[in-house]
Amino acid sequence: MSRSELDLVLGEVRDLSERYKAGGPEAFDAFRELTARLLSLSVAAPYATVILSVGPRGRDTQVLSGRRGIGDPLPLNENRGYLRLIMTLALVPVEGRRLLKVMDAGYQYQLDEAGDRWVFRYDYRRVPPDPHPAAHLQIRATPEEGCLPPNRPLARIHFPSGRVSIEAVIRLLADQFGVPCNRGPILWRPVLAESERIFHEIAHLPLSGPER
Amino acid sequence: MDKIPVLNWTRDEILTRMEAGAQFRLHMSAAEFVRSYREGRTEDPGQVADLLALAHLLPDDDPLFVAL
Repeated sequence: MSRSELDLVLGEVRDLSERYKAGGPEAFDAFRELTARLLSLSVAAPYATVILSVGPRGRDTQVLSGRRGIGDPLPLNENRGYLRLIMTLALVPVEGRRLLKVMDAGYQYQLDEAGDRWVFRYDYRRVPPDPHPAAHLQIRATPEEGCLPPNRPLARIHFPSGRVSIEAVIRLLADQFGVPCNRGPILWRPVLAESERIFHEIAHLPLSGPER
Repeated sequence: MDKIPVLNWTRDEILTRMEAGAQFRLHMSAAEFVRSYREGRTEDPGQVADLLALAHLLPDDDPLFVAL
C-alpha cells in the first residue's frame, strides 16, 4: 500500500463523513457508502455490502442493513460468521437544518445466518422505553461462577457499554476474534480511527439507565 | 463504490414480516409485540431488532399503532 492510497482513502472517509454530517436527503447514502467502505476494507466478505430500506413512513427514515434487507446479516471473510447490522437512521430538525441521527443501532456477531448461534450483541436505542441501558452489550455464554439470578442466563444481562461505533465492532472482530481483513492493518487502522474520530464529534452519548 | 438502490418496503410486506417474526420468536401478534415494546415489557429488544426497525418504517398513524 502506498502512502498516496492511504491518503486517498482517508480523503474519501472525510468526504463521506462531511456529507452525512451535513444532513439532508443525501446524508443517508453517504452514511451507507461510508459504512460499506469500512466493512469492505476490513472484515466483510468481498460480496457483502449494506443497503438502505424505506417504507410508507417516507424517505426521512431509513434502515441500514445487509444486502437482502432488514435482518439479513453480512457474511464475514473466510466463513468466520456473520455481522447482523441494523441501524435506523432519520433526518431530524435541528436549528433549521435536517440532520441525520442514528435512532437505533444493533451489531450482532453470529456464527450462523439465522442468528441462533450469536456470540455478542451491542445495541443502542436513542429513546428506549425499557429500563435496559440505552447502549448495552450482551454476551451469549456461560459464566464460570454461579453469579446469575434465577432464570436469567448471561445472554439476558444488559451490560452498560457507552456508545459503541461500527469501527469499534470491526476492530473487535479483526483483533480479538481473528476475522481476516481484506486489506492490511496499515490501511484499515488509520481509516477506522479517522472515521470513528469524526463520529465521536457528534455522537449522542446516552446515560447508562433511565432517569426515573 | 457502486450506487446501491434503496429497498422499498410496502406496508403489507412490513406487516407480514413483523407478524411472522413476532409469532415465531415471541409467540404473540405484531400488535401485541409493539404494545409490549412501547410499554417497556420486551425483555430482550435486541433479539427482535429487525422487527423494531421494520416498525420504524411505518408512519405514526399506522393502524398497527393506532389500535394500541
